[in-house]
Amino acid sequence: MIRRTAWMWVGLALAMAALPQLGGDYLIGLGITLLMWIALAESWIVLSGMTGYVSFGHAVFYGLGAYVMVVCWNNLPGWAGFLGAGLAAGLFALAIGYPVLRVRGPYFVILTYGLAELVKFLIINTEAALGKFGRLVFGAPPLATLYYLMLGLATLAVLIAWTVRRSRLGLGLAAIREDETAAENAGVPVARLKLIAFALSAAIPGMVGAVMALRSSYFEPLQAFSPTVSFNIVAMAVIGGGDDAPGPILGALFLVLLSELLWAHLPEVYMIILGLLVIGFVLFAPEGLHGRLQRLRRP
Amino acid sequence: MLARFSRALLVAAGLAGLGGTAMAQSAPPVKIGFSIAKTGLFAAAAPSQLTAYELWRDQVNAKGGLDVGGTKRRIEFVQYDDQSDPSQAVRIYEKLANDDKVDLLLAPWGTPHHFALAGVLERLKFPMVGNSAASSQLRDIKPGYIWFPTSAIPDRMATELATMMKGQGVKTAAVTGVQLPFSIEIRKFLMPALEKAGIKVVVSQEYPPDAKDLTAVLTQVRNAKPDAILSLSYPNDSVGFMTQAKELGVSAPFQFVLVGPTIDFFPKMFGPAADGLITIGHWSPHQKAWPRAKPFFDAYVAKFNARPDYLDTALAYMSCEILEQAVAKSGLDREKLRAAIAGGTFDTINGPVKFDGVQNAITPTAFLQIQKGEFHLVWPKTVATSDFQPRK
Repeated sequence: MIRRTAWMWVGLALAMAALPQLGGDYLIGLGITLLMWIALAESWIVLSGMTGYVSFGHAVFYGLGAYVMVVCWNNLPGWAGFLGAGLAAGLFALAIGYPVLRVRGPYFVILTYGLAELVKFLIINTEAALGKFGRLVFGAPPLATLYYLMLGLATLAVLIAWTVRRSRLGLGLAAIREDETAAENAGVPVARLKLIAFALSAAIPGMVGAVMALRSSYFEPLQAFSPTVSFNIVAMAVIGGGDDAPGPILGALFLVLLSELLWAHLPEVYMIILGLLVIGFVLFAPEGLHGRLQRLRRP
Repeated sequence: MLARFSRALLVAAGLAGLGGTAMAQSAPPVKIGFSIAKTGLFAAAAPSQLTAYELWRDQVNAKGGLDVGGTKRRIEFVQYDDQSDPSQAVRIYEKLANDDKVDLLLAPWGTPHHFALAGVLERLKFPMVGNSAASSQLRDIKPGYIWFPTSAIPDRMATELATMMKGQGVKTAAVTGVQLPFSIEIRKFLMPALEKAGIKVVVSQEYPPDAKDLTAVLTQVRNAKPDAILSLSYPNDSVGFMTQAKELGVSAPFQFVLVGPTIDFFPKMFGPAADGLITIGHWSPHQKAWPRAKPFFDAYVAKFNARPDYLDTALAYMSCEILEQAVAKSGLDREKLRAAIAGGTFDTINGPVKFDGVQNAITPTAFLQIQKGEFHLVWPKTVATSDFQPRK
């Protein structure tokens, strides 16, 4: 059973790897978007799905990564900007994690959102002081290259989520989610585990941001740090469901395809449907698509 | 026998019918694609561009269609919402070119979107005349498949504005502004230009895009009593600036508001209080030297029962005129069309336009003033439709 599921995922990854050979720019572009959301939502569940610390500000890592990339572009080799973006996002999470992860529940949600907005305006101010106003990226790599980078990031994010869930770290995080005080009394190093989860869930969004900056070949803080990114991540994770790797894949696939079908002619309707879906899933199917499917398989 | 005969007759009639419809339809329509911000940050601003596209399409179709190298073909739009997101616009234009196989492209709204598309157009080898984008950075874009008809480029605007102010005897100025790319860029060039013109900046303040209360900034301005107030603002905070300046009694003989006054609601909302305001814009229906200007204005007012945005609607319509005239010459072949746009001189509502690289080489950087509710060009003298009048 487990082996069959594993082969299915490998098959899916291989099919995604073959996509640039089969499809035109449009399909590759759609693939990049899908992989981007998978990578972001998978990273998000490492912190929020597993510990119950719901982050509403993951756009901050995405935007930070994009910023690092455009600042490095043409000054440093491309790979340095790419890795630097992940490193910067991870280090930033470590730096802010210690104070931020002390607050729980709704306070943490609001704090992460506020923090993302704070960093956005700090960067707007820095750019303004430098006399910059959005940065153009020239000579970005071809679409297929960006696609494979994104595929790599999505695969890595899925593997991290899958491994963490099945490791000692994952057990510790689950203990924190269920009862943090009890976990601490039982000897779980809660502060350290939370920090590790936070940094892990930040690094990949940073690199995703870097790739997307090259994809749109333009950086502007208001767009890069847009709260919509954070909201979408949460929506996908909630709809996909659970704290395990398949959930966000299903959630991202479902929402990306839905938006692809709707944005053509009913853009306003998409946002309404998204809102209804999130409410519906939270109320009636908190286990998400993944949880529902598993229940169907094992009645 | 009879059955067979009648069947043959039916087939013949059917064929004749087919032939008839084919003849009546003549050439297939031309598909023109673009993305537009129906939702998101720019949703309020983007309609000023869409109305220009719609007016142009209806006018051309009423004349029998777009002249494609000699054949008249009806225009059909293929449009998608880009959610004000440049990366979404990038995907849409790839879809338009590869999936919908459109014949021609029109531009999305806003500088970030234009910039994000420059690389895509280059890759697709698909020419597009831009419109609502202005930044000195556009000169960094490799000339080829995108052009910018605007003359409201921040560095040139800064110099022209400073020269105009000096000419009006302005000695001191207050500069307030919102932290958005366009206003930040203008400020960067404006400060040294004012200094060079011998104008002393007595107040210099910036505020974030969602600022609602400008009282603190405006009180400083009032206390400094400057000859000129320059508000580098966007529609939302331009309204805030105007309302609160009126409440606090802040005014100066020379008053400039960056983005907003040219939108239809603005003069309606403020009435006489908006009189004498200076703003950016290089088009006015009152310029007699541009014979297409007034008919465009009248047709727009007749269709939408509102005035066009003097900046974005005019630019969007110009980009349509340029495309129309280029296609008449070159047809739909993309390389020929590129050459036709790059090398041609076009007759637009804003007078003749010719491109040098990516930029409009003819239209001068200009300023509008609201005079008794009408928009007049007051700078430079070569295109002015009225003299500058100090605010009372």
